[in-house]
Amino acid sequence: MTTDVSQFIDVDRGEIQGEIFHSAAIYEQELERIWARSWVFLAHDSMIPKKGDFLQTYIGEDPVVVVRQKDGGVRAFLNQCRHRGMRICRADRGNAKAFMCSFHGWVYDTAGNLIDVPHEETAYNPETFDKSDWGPRQVARLEEYRGFWFGTWDAEAPSLLDYLGDMAWYFDAHFDRYANGYEAIAVHKWVIEANWKLNAEQPASDMYHGDVSHASAKQVMGIGPTKEREGHQFSGTFGHGTGWWDLGGNTKRESVGDDWVAQNHDQVVERVGERRADGIRGHANIFPNFMFLHNGTIRVTHPRGPGEFEVWAWTMVPSDAPAEFKEEIRKKVLRTFSPGGIFEQDDAENWVEEQRIMRGFMARRSPLVYTMRMGDAKRDQNNLPGLTVDHPYADEGSRGMYRHYVDMMSAESWAQVIEAKVSRGEPVTYREIGLEGIAR
Amino acid sequence: MTAVAETSQVAVLAAAPGAVASADLHLTHELATFLYLEADLLDDWRFDDWFALLATDLDYWAPTRENRTFRERRHETAPRGGAAYFEENHADMAQRIDRLKTHMAWAEEPPSRTRHLITNVRAFTTEKVDEFAVNSSFLVYRTRSERDEDQILGQRRDLLRRVDTPAGFEIVRREIRFDQATLLIKNLSAFF
Repeated sequence: MTTDVSQFIDVDRGEIQGEIFHSAAIYEQELERIWARSWVFLAHDSMIPKKGDFLQTYIGEDPVVVVRQKDGGVRAFLNQCRHRGMRICRADRGNAKAFMCSFHGWVYDTAGNLIDVPHEETAYNPETFDKSDWGPRQVARLEEYRGFWFGTWDAEAPSLLDYLGDMAWYFDAHFDRYANGYEAIAVHKWVIEANWKLNAEQPASDMYHGDVSHASAKQVMGIGPTKEREGHQFSGTFGHGTGWWDLGGNTKRESVGDDWVAQNHDQVVERVGERRADGIRGHANIFPNFMFLHNGTIRVTHPRGPGEFEVWAWTMVPSDAPAEFKEEIRKKVLRTFSPGGIFEQDDAENWVEEQRIMRGFMARRSPLVYTMRMGDAKRDQNNLPGLTVDHPYADEGSRGMYRHYVDMMSAESWAQVIEAKVSRGEPVTYREIGLEGIAR
Repeated sequence: MTAVAETSQVAVLAAAPGAVASADLHLTHELATFLYLEADLLDDWRFDDWFALLATDLDYWAPTRENRTFRERRHETAPRGGAAYFEENHADMAQRIDRLKTHMAWAEEPPSRTRHLITNVRAFTTEKVDEFAVNSSFLVYRTRSERDEDQILGQRRDLLRRVDTPAGFEIVRREIRFDQATLLIKNLSAFF
C-alpha cells in the first residue's frame, strides 16, 4: 500500500499539510521511493585522498562505505556483510587494506569484493558457493561532479549531470572557482528531533527566516537586519533550490583572506564569469539532502525516522588559500553553523518545535502556506538559467522541492518520474550554459 | 603478562596538560570549590558573574571526537586546528553572552534549566606557582520548554590561575571533551 501524498501537498495552491513530516507510513515510503532512488552526496575527493582511505556514510538509513581505490577511482557499497547482515566497517573513517566483518570474519577488499570466508572449504559446498556472488550490495551508480561524489541505488536514474540540470550552473558559483578546488577541513555531526524535509526546504527556499530566527546572532555580529535589494531564487526540475541576495547591502567584513581573494579574482572570473564571481552564492539544497552555504558549510542530513535526522556538516575551504585564511573560515563556521554555533542553535529550536506540534491531528491537517511569490517564476529570465523568481523572499524553491517529492513518491519508476516532468514541460536534461548565464 | 607493572608518575600526570605534581588536600579543595561556584553561577543564569571568572587570555576549546580503530586512535579526538564545537577567546565568549541578552536567542528563550554536576576532580601544580591544572568530569542536565530533556557528559581539562578576587581563581584554559562522537543533543546552547 502506498500513500498518495498529493492529498497533503497542493503545490499549485501553495498549501502543504504537516502530515508529510509526521507520518511513519510516509517515512517508510520515502526510504524506498526517495532514498533508494535519488542521487545522494557521499564524499568529496579531499575526504578520501589516498588509496585505501575510506569513510562511512549513509544513503537514507542505509549505511555505505566509500573507498578510494588503488587506481584513484572511488567505490561505494552497502556497509552490510552478506552473511548475517552485520555492519562491516565500524570506524567513521580511516585507511584500510581490507574490511573484515567482526562477526564471523568474512573479509572484503576495498572495492567490496568478498575475498575470504573462514573455513570456506569445510563449511560451504564449493559447487554452489561462489564468493563473487556475495560481495556487499554495490551502490548502483556512482558519479562525480567537481570532486563531489554522489551515489544512487537505482540503475535507471538519470545521469548525475541531468539530475543536477541547471542547478550545476549555480553549484559552480560555489565550488568551481579555483583550479585546485576545495577541501574539507572539519566535520560536525549531531542529531535533531525533526523531519529531514524541514531542514532541506530551508536552504532550498527560505531566506525569509534569517532576520528573525537569527536576529540575535546578526545583532551581536554587527550585521544587522537584511537590507532588501536585488536577489533571486531558483527552483530545479528535480527538487533543487537556491536563493541569494546580489551584491551590496550588509556591511562587508574584513577578512585575512581579502588579499588572496583579490589576487585570485581574475581566475574566478575566468572560470565562472563576473556574475557568479561576485554574486549568486547564498544558500542551496540539492534534493534530497545536500546543502551548502556561501560561507563554506556543506552538509547532508541523514533521516532517522519521521521525527529525527542527523546533520553531518563539513567546512570547505579553497585548497590553495593561505593557511591563515583557511583557519579563519574554519573558526567562523564552527562559531556560527556547528551545533554550538550562534546561528545554528536557533534553527534547531524551530524545527524541533514544528515537529512536536505536528503530533496534533488538527496541526498536521491544517494547510501551511507556501504561497510567497506564487506565479512570479519565469524560465530563463534575467539571464538566469531555469525557473527563477526575482526575489529571495519566495517559496518557489519549496514548491519545486515538494512538486518533485510528489513525483518521486507517486511514481513506480524513474521513467514515470521523467514522464510527469516532461508532461509539465519541465527540462529533464543537462545543458551547457555560458559563464554569464542564458544569453537571450 | 601485564603491560605495565604499576601506574607511573608519568601516567598520573599525563592526562592533565601542564601538571607537575598532585595538589595537596587544601589546594584541591579550594580548586574544586571554585568549580562548584562556577556551576552554581551557570545554573542560576548569572552569566555576567560567570564571565567575570574568565581570564582575558582565555582559551576555551572543545574538539570533536570520532569513531576510529584502536590502531588509528590518535585521531579519535580532533587536534588543534581541526574540528571543534568551541574555540573561543575572551571576546568570543562575551559575544555569546551578549547574544543571550538580545532576548532573541531562541534556543535559550525562554532559558533552559541546567544542572552542572562536577565530579572526579584531580588537581595539580604546574611550572607557574599561581597556575593549576585541574581535571574534572561533568554531567550537564538540561530541561527546557514544556518537556525537553537532555544531558551530555564529558571531561574538562582546565588551567586555573589564582587571582585576588572573591572567587579566588580565574579560568585560563579549558579543554572540553564531550563523550559523544555524534552529538545526541540538538544544540550546545549551554556553557560547559
